Amino acid sequence: MHTQINLVQGSLGQKRLEDILEPSVGQCLSLNLTSFLNGRQIIFSNGESRLVPLEGWAHRNRQPCTTLTTIQPLKEETPIVGIDSSSIQVAETEEGVLYAAKSGIAIATQGQIQAHFKIGPILFYLSEDTLKHSELDHRITKLILFDSESAKRLIRVRVERAIQLELSQHFAGAILLVDGSLRASVFEHTGYTLRKVVENCSIYKNTVAGISKSTRLRILDKVSLPLTKIKAPGFIDVNLIIKSLVRNINGDSLLVKFGNGYTSPILRVDIASANGNKDTSLGKILGNDSIARGYPETLQLAHHISTFTGTEVSCLKSHILNKYNVVELVSEDIRKKLLGSILI
Amino acid sequence: MKILYKNNTDELILLALKSDTARKGDYLLIHDQKSNKRIIVQIYNEEYLSSQSLIEDIVKDEVIVASSIENLHDPLDIGTLSRMIRDARLFKAKIRASIDSESKFSNEITWLPSRVYSKINRMKISEINNLVNRTGLYSIRLGSSGLDEEQFEIYAEDLDGKLNIVTGKKESGKSHLSKILIKTLVEYGAFVIVFDLNNEYGGLAWNGNGTLSTLHEQVTILEPGEGLKFSLDYCGKAAISSMLKNALDMPAASLREFFRIWDWLENKNTLDMEALGNAINTWNTNELVRDALISRFHAISSSGLFVGTLNTSDDGLRFEELVSKKQGLALIMNLGKAMPVVRRMIVELVLTKVVELLEKGIIPPIFLFAEEAHLYIRDTYWEDIITRMRHFGIYTTFITNQPDAISDSVYRQVDNIFLFNFTNDTDLDKISKVSLADNETVKSIVRTLPQRQCLVIGKVVHDLPMVVKITSADIMALGQTKTFFKTGSRAQDISSVSQIQ
Repeated sequence: MHTQINLVQGSLGQKRLEDILEPSVGQCLSLNLTSFLNGRQIIFSNGESRLVPLEGWAHRNRQPCTTLTTIQPLKEETPIVGIDSSSIQVAETEEGVLYAAKSGIAIATQGQIQAHFKIGPILFYLSEDTLKHSELDHRITKLILFDSESAKRLIRVRVERAIQLELSQHFAGAILLVDGSLRASVFEHTGYTLRKVVENCSIYKNTVAGISKSTRLRILDKVSLPLTKIKAPGFIDVNLIIKSLVRNINGDSLLVKFGNGYTSPILRVDIASANGNKDTSLGKILGNDSIARGYPETLQLAHHISTFTGTEVSCLKSHILNKYNVVELVSEDIRKKLLGSILI
Repeated sequence: MKILYKNNTDELILLALKSDTARKGDYLLIHDQKSNKRIIVQIYNEEYLSSQSLIEDIVKDEVIVASSIENLHDPLDIGTLSRMIRDARLFKAKIRASIDSESKFSNEITWLPSRVYSKINRMKISEINNLVNRTGLYSIRLGSSGLDEEQFEIYAEDLDGKLNIVTGKKESGKSHLSKILIKTLVEYGAFVIVFDLNNEYGGLAWNGNGTLSTLHEQVTILEPGEGLKFSLDYCGKAAISSMLKNALDMPAASLREFFRIWDWLENKNTLDMEALGNAINTWNTNELVRDALISRFHAISSSGLFVGTLNTSDDGLRFEELVSKKQGLALIMNLGKAMPVVRRMIVELVLTKVVELLEKGIIPPIFLFAEEAHLYIRDTYWEDIITRMRHFGIYTTFITNQPDAISDSVYRQVDNIFLFNFTNDTDLDKISKVSLADNETVKSIVRTLPQRQCLVIGKVVHDLPMVVKITSADIMALGQTKTFFKTGSRAQDISSVSQIQ
């Protein structure tokens, strides 16, 4: 036995390991870091959310040519409606999974939140039986049955679209703010698509804007540099860049700084204005919503309303146990069990 | 309600929802239905069920609700459940007793009830009384107890031969309870002596509306010089010497000379105040001793506590005569207007004489109610009262708003404590250390007791502390503090002054 271990140790020396990795990795991914990292600016990732440098990347040699427009707050009374939703997995049965969704709507005018709506929690049970009669594509059905993240996304998208569609025809001359981009989703119901929301907005003279807190498109970091040089709110049109990289985007794409300060966050905004005037729509947002830490307060409030609290999750579980005659089984975290933990 | 966990050796933490009605002091019966055994616990504290996330949720919701008008669409009605959780409480309960499967009651608890199979119910006073077999012939109705305001009574037998303390902060209801105790004891034919510092117990003779009470004939109010007057020979040498020594601090040498004079007058059958004064003035003795005797004689004389001469029809107060005439008697000694030294003289005389009469079996045992006794009873007397005098038949109830004025040795002998509200930490610390109940119960319950509610601890409740709401009594209120602003004429004066200005 010892001989075998020694043999393995001998044959897997440093050089040998490099030889093993080289054909697979080295040809496309260089392992020589020194020459690439030398003198570079760096921020360390936290493994979860995307971080950006507080004062931008300082030395840019090649800045794309962009036009910066400042935004002036417009005091013209316009309802700003923030919509957000969340979904969680609550329980699992042998056949399917129980999810819960919550939505929040916050309405502001003239810099004040006027009202908010708390919708939910609503329970959804996704199993082969419940999805049998849905008009979902069978590939999507398979996906959401096996991947809970996709299932949560489907629920969130469908709930949000229903609310957005309703609001888009309920208001006239309002601005609907939604969390995330205005990109059509494969999870949308054919009758409740983002396109229909935009169409309704156009009919009822509403504007819809999708505000993304972060973007995976690294090029936008470079483009946004001029916005960090001015203190006032402003925007840069990035429609061409976005449209060349991403399909199915509704409206025009902008990089917007809502806050008043050099370090205020720069957000990607997809906007479909009723009259096509982006300056006016952004000005109305500044004039009618209050901007806290560079983000519209209606969206902040809608987010807080729509997130699940620990108490709500406990209540949901208790509701399920009480109402549906289910039997709770003792469960275990298999990952925790297998990996154990090293207490220090 | 559900058992959550056991905290200390004798404490259970119970989870209660808003609908579970119980309050501090209430007794709960935990019935373990598997083992058919029961545990009696008493709630002594109530807290919110709290966790960091719950507090965060509440704060978050509050901020959201405060920011704008809220509109809810909650199809599953989860909000109701959420509110239930937010309103859930933890009852801290002390284990007081257990009842085994053969219904045997015991104060020793060596088992734990099941969290799953236990049923928890609030106990009625009558149920507790049945369990501990708390009965008697002479009930004293103190008031009500528990959420259902059940009638609560103690039994005079449990005060008989016992040492009791009634304590609480000012105006918490101590005197009111004492009056109820005295009234009922007298109704049952007991003899009660009250050292009344605020001249308020005389109100027992009248109803609240000023008419004569049923006890009117049985209440005798005595004041120094007015009824509270003794002849020297009735007091006897022992009582007088005790008074001179302890109340008037007479030195031993002077005391010896005083006894010689006393014996001389006694042999001549001329022992009265007049003769005593003359004898002291003409007695052949050291001048310093004479001065000491003269100063004490003047103190005695001016106190008005003694009959002047033998030749009057006034024999002075004779306890045995008062007792023999009446079935039940409240002897109220008004000390409110008396000088501190006179108070001490009265207490020395009365207690020494009563002990003497009890020793000889001339009078039956008496109940003594002493208000703020530390103001007129010397330190060394306390032990005498709680040890020796108890055996002769003086059963004392101390009424005080200063729990630290009573020594620990008294607390160790005490049988019953009636605890009214205390908010002062020093007082609570003192009373919780020495009382018959555990520290946590006393501190938690007593701190929040409203006026006229007390925690009864001791033999009267068979060592199961009870929170009692003392009933109102139809007794004339006397001894109220004279105030400046409540006087009508004063108010008139002020208004006329302001008109002039």
